[in-house]
Amino acid sequence: MADKKKVIVRVKRQAGPKQEARWEEFALDWRPSMNVIIALRDIAENPLTRDGQKTTPVSYDSNCLEEICGSCAMVINGKARMACSALIDDLEQPIRIEPLSKFPVVRDLAVDRQFMFESLKRVHAWVPIDGTYDLGEGPRVSPETQEKGYPLSNCITCGSCLEVCPQVNEKNPFIGAAIISQVRLFNMHPTGAMHARERLEALMGPGGIADCANAQNCVQACPKGIPLTESIAEVNRQVWKQALFGWLLG
Amino acid sequence: MSAKVFRPDRSYLLRKLHSLSGIVPVGAFLAEHFWSNSTVLVSISKYNETSRELQTIPFRIFAEALMIWLPILYHGCYGIHIWMRGKSNVSDYPWVGNWLYTLQRATGLVAFVYIGWHVYAERFLTHGKSTYGDMERTLQNPYALAFMAVGIVASSFHFGIGIWNFLCKWGLTATVQAQRAAGRLGVLVGLAFSLVGILILVSFRLNWHPFEFYIK
Ligand code: SF4
Ligand code: FES
Repeated sequence: MADKKKVIVRVKRQAGPKQEARWEEFALDWRPSMNVIIALRDIAENPLTRDGQKTTPVSYDSNCLEEICGSCAMVINGKARMACSALIDDLEQPIRIEPLSKFPVVRDLAVDRQFMFESLKRVHAWVPIDGTYDLGEGPRVSPETQEKGYPLSNCITCGSCLEVCPQVNEKNPFIGAAIISQVRLFNMHPTGAMHARERLEALMGPGGIADCANAQNCVQACPKGIPLTESIAEVNRQVWKQALFGWLLG
Repeated sequence: MSAKVFRPDRSYLLRKLHSLSGIVPVGAFLAEHFWSNSTVLVSISKYNETSRELQTIPFRIFAEALMIWLPILYHGCYGIHIWMRGKSNVSDYPWVGNWLYTLQRATGLVAFVYIGWHVYAERFLTHGKSTYGDMERTLQNPYALAFMAVGIVASSFHFGIGIWNFLCKWGLTATVQAQRAAGRLGVLVGLAFSLVGILILVSFRLNWHPFEFYIK
């Protein structure tokens, strides 16, 4: 075999949260079914840039390698997507890899998604089951609700929906589609519904649901195919009803 | 770290009011305005009659201020505020919804500027007594004609896309199919309003009254 097939990858590097970003180019040996995470691992194995300069391994988050943990979202060739399911053969070269732009960079491609976790806390995205005494069994979840809720429960908090949303930016800390969809999920759960009002009120505050401007990018970008625009519409209805009738009807 | 406590604040109400005001009264007025102006397609006298009738409603100034000017001013100013807080990325993600998002901001601005001029020229310069003759004279100027055409198309599509946004944002269309239908409806309204608006312009410009046979 003559020269080995090469894969040209350009990575946006940043040594720390406050450091200047720069680009580095790598030429890697092609392998069958190679994906972006494998490319990053190959760099770590032999951290040499294309022109032979020694460099450091690229920092990035990943875990499951099967699009289920949500940690590896990056901007690849200008699009937000999961690195572990981004096959090299499907990508135009040189492949540009950047960190998500809507979250603070920790280092290189690793970003801090604390904003999303704070937002989940803000809307109480859970079903409370503990009390100071035994609360007993909750109401049953109907099969219909289970069926509706299951796809929503697939959210992996990857942040792709925030990354592509024009309403999420430095000037506008919009809570984003994922969290609104979680409100729908927990409000449809019969035990979770007991705290529906708190969730809806949390969405009326700054950066809440009213900041959605219906660009509908989220639903296009979501790697889990979650019906985000349906969730937003549904929760929007719940919120304005709460706002309008909450104080009237209690 | 404990989660920050968020309280409902005024921004929710203001934002909802912005959304609603685009449909009623602003959108509703747009429809009424096209409706009454389309009388020019019948005849000059019918147009002048209709204008006269609208110009002589009781409490006119209050009706205009409360139902037309203030809502448009609010919708426009708050709309610009919303625009400043978004960051269009249609070049990275050229999806239909994202195009509509960007278009909604551009048409909104054009429509707002245009409406400002239109009200000044046709309402204030004529002391609220605009007639067919005034419009005809304005439209002799090719720049005014072009500006009106652009303003009409921008307002029409802003309203059309606004209908789709409204239906989605109030959860009135909650399924994907319903939202797709709402989108089609919005585009259709934009096209229909544009068409009627342009026909009205042509009517003034060419002294063309295709429905004159009604009264002959
Ligand atoms: S809704 Fe989809 S895109 Fe958004 S965080 Fe969850 S999985 Fe990621
Ligand atoms: S590594 Fe878990 S989603 Fe990609």
